[in-house]
Parts: sequence; C-alpha cells; structure tokens
Amino acid sequence: MNSGVAIEMHNLTKTFKSRDRYLEARSSFFARREREIVTAVDHLNLEIKSGELFGLLGPNGAGKTTLVKMLCTLLPPDEGSAVVSGFDVARQPMDVRRSIGALFSVGERGAFWRLSGYKNLEFFSAIYNVPRSRRHERIMEVLDLVGLKDKAFDRYQRFSGGMKRKLALARVLLPDTPILLLDEPTVGLDVISSRTLREFIKNDLSRKAGKTVFYTTHYVEEASQICDRIGILNRGRLVACDTPSAIRGIVKKGEVVEIRVQSITDPQIGAMKTMGGVVDLVSEVEDSVLGQRLLRLHLESIDLLPMVLDFVFKEKIRLIDLKREEPTLEDAFIELTGRGIGK
Amino acid sequence: MSLQELEKIYYFIKRDVTSFSTYKTNMTLMVLGALFGALSYAFLGSNATMQSVLQEYHISFKDYLVIGVAFSTYIGQALTLVQATATPWQLEEVLVSPTRLSTFIIGSSAWGFIWSTVVVVIYLAVGSLAFGVVLSINLIGTLLVLALGISTLVGFSMIGAGILIVVKQGDPVTWTMGILTSVFGNVLYPPQVMPYPLSVVSYFVPQYYFFTCIRLMMIGRSLQAILPDILTLALMCAIILPLGYLIYSWCLKTARKNGTLSWF
Repeated sequence: MNSGVAIEMHNLTKTFKSRDRYLEARSSFFARREREIVTAVDHLNLEIKSGELFGLLGPNGAGKTTLVKMLCTLLPPDEGSAVVSGFDVARQPMDVRRSIGALFSVGERGAFWRLSGYKNLEFFSAIYNVPRSRRHERIMEVLDLVGLKDKAFDRYQRFSGGMKRKLALARVLLPDTPILLLDEPTVGLDVISSRTLREFIKNDLSRKAGKTVFYTTHYVEEASQICDRIGILNRGRLVACDTPSAIRGIVKKGEVVEIRVQSITDPQIGAMKTMGGVVDLVSEVEDSVLGQRLLRLHLESIDLLPMVLDFVFKEKIRLIDLKREEPTLEDAFIELTGRGIGK
Repeated sequence: MSLQELEKIYYFIKRDVTSFSTYKTNMTLMVLGALFGALSYAFLGSNATMQSVLQEYHISFKDYLVIGVAFSTYIGQALTLVQATATPWQLEEVLVSPTRLSTFIIGSSAWGFIWSTVVVVIYLAVGSLAFGVVLSINLIGTLLVLALGISTLVGFSMIGAGILIVVKQGDPVTWTMGILTSVFGNVLYPPQVMPYPLSVVSYFVPQYYFFTCIRLMMIGRSLQAILPDILTLALMCAIILPLGYLIYSWCLKTARKNGTLSWF
C-alpha cells in the first residue's frame, strides 16, 4: 500500500445473480422468473488518502452500499482487490475489521430495543474489543460526542429516529478506529439533525480527530458541503472523482438559468423540457396558493434564452424573476449520470 | 360492509399470500407439519404407553412424563438457538466487528441455555414437591448426557440456520428434528408402543438416546447402565456437530458472496 493511502481499490468488481424478476404481473408460487445478472460495482479503481473526507455520490442502486459492504468485509469481491489500512479485505478480514468502524443506512436495526443506550454500547464495546478498564469512560465519551450523554440510561425504544442514528454512530466510534465507513448516515433524519450530524462528521471526526471518512450519500448538497473530494458512482462505475468545485466545473460548458413564474401548467413545463437545447429542467413549487414555481433550466447555450422567453410570453405565463446561475454539483451529477437524483 | 371495503380486504389477503408464497420452503413445511401434529398425541393416550414405561424404566408414567417434558425445553432451545442468531442485522453487525463466528454463536445462545436450566429446575422441583416425582440424580451422568445431547442438536441447529440464511424462511432441518422429537424422541411415550416399522425410526434419532439416558440418570442409574446408548449419542455428536459448523459456515459464506445476508 502507498504511504498516506487509507483505502485502495483496484478493478474492484461485484456481480449479483438473482431470480427475483417476475416475467408476469402475477407473482405467485408458480410464476415464471428470470435470471438476472447485475454488476453492482464495475472494475472500480480508487484511492482514499489518510485523513481525507471522501464522499461517494450516486443515485439509488448505483452500487454505493455494495462497495461499503466489500470494504468492511461483509461481501467478498468477485474480481480485483481492496486494501483497507494496509490489509486486504479478502485475505485479512479480521485485520480490516480492527481498523474500521462501519455504519449502514439501517444501522439502528442492529441495536437492542429493550436496553438503554448505555447498555447497548456496553455490549458493542465488548464486541469491538474496547479494553474493559476503558469501557465506561469510552462509552461516556462517545455519548458526549454525539450529544446523547443526557439520554444514556433511557431505553433505546424511547429514542427518536435522530437519536437512534446518533447512537448507531456512537457505536461505530467506540473502538476509535482510524477509518470510518459511513453508508448514507443522514437517511431518515430531519433537516436539523442531518446538518448537526454532517457538521460533527466534518469538524470533529475529520478535522479534529483526523479520521479517514468514506461517506456515501445520494444527497448532492451534503456531499458538496462537507467532502474534500467526491466520487460519482453510476451503475457501478466511477464516472467522476475530484474536488466539489472541480466537478461543478464539468458543466461549465452549459448555462443554468433560474426563472420564477406564476400560472404555469404541467403540460407547459413538459413542452419546455422537450425544446431543442434544453439539457434539463427542474421545476419546484414555491407557493402552491399563488401557483408560483421556480424553473431551473440547464441550456446548451445562453443564446437559447430568447427562445425560452418567447415560449413563456406566447403561453401567457407570468414571469416574476429571472437570473443566471452558476452550475451546481447537482447539475454536474445529472450531466454525468444522465439521470436526476433518485431516478 | 361496502364492496369497496371488501375489495380492500381482498388486497390485504392478496398482498400477504403473494409475500408468503415467495417463502416456498416455509409454506411446504407448514402444510406437512399440520399432517404430523396429531400423531404424537394419539400414542400418548394409549394404555400400552403406561405399561411400556413400567417395563422399560420401572418408574411411574407421571415421573416419566415430568422428566421428559422438563428436558424437552433444552431440546427445543438447542434446536433453535443458532436460528435465533440468524437475524440479518445481528449477523451484519457482528460480522463487521473483530469477533469470531464461534464466539458469536456461543455468546448468542448462552442465556437461552441458562434460562432453560432454570425452567428444568422449576419443572423438576414442582414435579417432586407437588406431585411426588421420585428423583435420585446421577449428577456427572446427567451433565455428560446433557453436553452430548445439546451438542448434537446444536449441530442440527447450525445446519438448519445455514439453510435458513440461504432460503430465508422455514428451514426443513429444524422442522424435521422437531417432528422427530415429538413422534420418535421418547419425550411423551416410549417409541416401543408404536408399530414396529415406526419404532425402528427412533434408533436413528439422537433425541431418543438423549431422553433414554437422561431419564435413567435422573433416577440414579449408573453410567454403565446407559453405556451403549451414550456411546451411540457420542458417535452421533462427533459426526453432526462438526458437520453442522461446516454447513453453517458454507451457507454464511454463500449468502455473503451473493449479497443476500440481509434479505429476509
């Protein structure tokens, strides 16, 4: 392994065979099913530096969770190799597990509902080899870090969704490993909890503690706010990997215009989407009572703007505001993956 | 109730039938289980059972039944203990930690056995104090029989759990062993009361040797009295326990390879 590199992947590939696609609408006992082969991770080459906060961005089904599961030794790769903290995931799984903390998007399900937060962590501190003499101190430390110290002795079943997520993160922090693999850690959290957690990951775990964080998400803004570098995964392939600003630059060749309008119908939006030169159009309802919407148009060239405005005036759509925008990471994402988030 | 509401109920049923029918093994086992269910109770009610108990063990039917029922909790526990650990979330959490699989299995099942011991003690105490069951325990023999019997059934449990990890619901091994325990296991009646072709099956079932040996140990017989039976049980244990571990490990590896560990 290169010095200063925490995670290395060479041609890492994982393929799944499944017979879960029904060939008919009737999914009964006797329904015919098709064998399907899906390449979840496709010859991936990537290096994550020690102390780096790396964000892996991709739509649902892009292969993010599969990749995290391979890195934490839950899934064996079919081809290629992955080295975590100097240990090969296939040949030295125990050494890899001693170097990582892994949080899955459904991590809170591994907790024991009838135990308190403290008792849950006490069990996991034994599982993660935290020395007995340090356990109490370490549990209180991580509970304090995630802001759950006051709720330490409440039963887990009384925790809110945000608290459960925080406790799952506290569990991952228990063994104080140098590498953290966080798979969609903010899924299901409200805006405030999500922001608090992101700031904690960036400021406390990455900047202060110097941990290497491998962070997957399908929220573009999340990745752009906290990550040093971002990789965009699409159908198992890494289609871009750079700093957030460099990735934004990928769509510089196009132009993004925001138009705030009133009284626009869905068929009219549909017609705008199909205009020549309109790369993408994202419509957002701003005020449903007033019928106000924000249209974010990604145009091949600014010269196409008169054509769009012509359509707006001809259709008697009330124009409230218009401004030219810098492309966002989301624009880059759409350009690179050919689909919007979640599609 | 309106037609619209009835249609909703229809779609509830349709949803559950569709989901249930995807667990084919479980569906088949549940249907077969219903067919076997009544068989053991038919033998329990016969007069021949009581006479056979007296001839074989020289104890009353009451003593025979209390000891059998008390120790059947151990068998039930041993048969299902590894399956209880096969929940996908628990498996994933432990498999990403530096913890050995064997530690995980032993650790997850230890409390179940401690609790089963408490239940057995309660059964025997109530039987002895309230119903006059006569006990004269050969402690070393009892511990030896328990260790061999439980280890053998844990072997089966590992095979069952392995299959469960792969097929996801309803493992045929645990089901079969449960049926074998109730019909051929010498729990509620001696297998000798069954027609000969059926009673022969008992000699291939480890539970038969376990219950035969444990009863004799609970009434104070020496180890020599159960030597052929305990040797047979030890032989079965020596084959089934490592086999179970190998099958469980293989199934776990297969599920990990296929990425289906957390699919249930």
